[in-house]
Amino acid sequence: MDVPRTVTTALEDRPIEGAVCLEAGAGVGNATAGLLANGAARVYAVTDDRTHAETTLERVRSPTDDDGNDDSRRARNRLAVLEADLRALPLPDDAVEVITAHGLFNVVPPADLDAIAGELTRVAAPGCHLLVDDYEPLPDEAAVRDLFALENAAAQLADGAPMVTFYPAEALGRLFAGYGWTVDRHRMLLDPVPWTASHLEAHAEVVRSRVDALPADSELGAALLERADALVEAIGSESAGEMYSLALRRPE
Amino acid sequence: METRDLGPTGHESTIATFGAIALNWLEQEGANQMVELVLDRGVNHFDVAPTYGDAERKLGPKLRQHREEIYLGCKTQERDYDGARRKLERSLDRLGVDHIDLYQVHGLEYEEELEEITGDDGALAAFRDAKEEGLIGDIGLTSHGNPQLILDAMDRIDDLATVMFPLNPVVAAKDDDDHDYEAVLERADEAGIGTLGIKAFAKGSWPPTEELPEADRPYANWYEPVDTPDEIRERFDFAASQGLSTVVSPGDPKLVAMVLDAATRYDGMAESAQRSLVEEARHDDSPVPEQLHH
Repeated sequence: MDVPRTVTTALEDRPIEGAVCLEAGAGVGNATAGLLANGAARVYAVTDDRTHAETTLERVRSPTDDDGNDDSRRARNRLAVLEADLRALPLPDDAVEVITAHGLFNVVPPADLDAIAGELTRVAAPGCHLLVDDYEPLPDEAAVRDLFALENAAAQLADGAPMVTFYPAEALGRLFAGYGWTVDRHRMLLDPVPWTASHLEAHAEVVRSRVDALPADSELGAALLERADALVEAIGSESAGEMYSLALRRPE
Repeated sequence: METRDLGPTGHESTIATFGAIALNWLEQEGANQMVELVLDRGVNHFDVAPTYGDAERKLGPKLRQHREEIYLGCKTQERDYDGARRKLERSLDRLGVDHIDLYQVHGLEYEEELEEITGDDGALAAFRDAKEEGLIGDIGLTSHGNPQLILDAMDRIDDLATVMFPLNPVVAAKDDDDHDYEAVLERADEAGIGTLGIKAFAKGSWPPTEELPEADRPYANWYEPVDTPDEIRERFDFAASQGLSTVVSPGDPKLVAMVLDAATRYDGMAESAQRSLVEEARHDDSPVPEQLHH
């Protein structure tokens, strides 16, 4: 399993060995892979996206060995991928000892922050560790800001909510403080953040999917898509902004 | 320019080592100027090999003029005693000097080669005799082969003073054992062996020759290098901040001045910036498409 250094760096000072963990927002399974590699007793990987659920399962399977590989089988036995809404987790109270939200909150609209923070707090056992790894708001001069703005415009039109919001570490720290959590440590994972051609393409793809959801005669949609494609072409790739890791703790 | 201990050699190498293959692409006058530039920037460690075209001969005049300022590394691809001895004598002759400070097994690639060089009739026996005679100072090894093979070599060669191997963010981003040169660096550090980093400036393979014929490549390197001052500086800072004793400059003379500038200005690199380069390389090479995040 290939575990990105953002994940290994965020996990290295957290007690993962033997812990029951929740990965909130599984994405492509980056943090799940890291939790399993660090010896988590159990990982609940929660996502509301079917493709992400499948990718996360696939991630844990050894690419060279379907069933015979012991490490791969053991890792899969410790993983449960749950397709669920983070605002209504299918887990009992006080159930988990470690929660990771690696790259989660930037895809959570402001209106959903409270519901998710409340639900994560409900399932967290006393003394639970929470990792919030996310992006600081981009500096004004970053060219990729325009691409995210287009993405949000398309998402607002299609869904009535933004697609990406970069919350300062301080803001998310205060949000969780309101639920009784205390900040343990803050460290920089990436500075600058490399927005590669494949990232930009993935964000342009979001614009495309949201524009597809608009009425066929939407002139605005076509204009947004055209502009997004032009931006991806013009930017190519850019290193800008910061990715942080905020570690919090629920009182014993 | 910052200097660091080169393992047990007693030499303090500058964090940049001049890869003298760059001289092969220059006429003698240009080669002389290049050496003067490199020395002017404070570099005290040069590395050359008989397989680098005319590099040994072109290094010769300025090397002899500045012999005391230069810690000289050379190497041989010969694996047996007689071949290694002949190549050493030829290098001494072509360089026009009577002593090479660091003589290295060049480009170890296969387990059988390790068997051969460590055998009674192997290259290392020739190296040791030459050391007794004062023809060479210390013994080193270079490889861009399997990291495990380099680890084995470190275990088996007791008098190994240095290892030279690839280290850059592209390599660091690959998690498999075949690219685990960080394990080599770690073991060398534990064993007090000096470390020289190569391929620090490699971006990737050249496009296939159908797309870009070899004759149309803009650089002499056998890989495509990074080539802007910012990228060169990032790559230098990354390599130097991994803890290598020294970072070898790339083989194309057009890149050398930028590398010297980066080495002169080196002042460490934040870990979050190192991770940024690794993460960038990981995504360039990722089997998982469609990632919004890092």
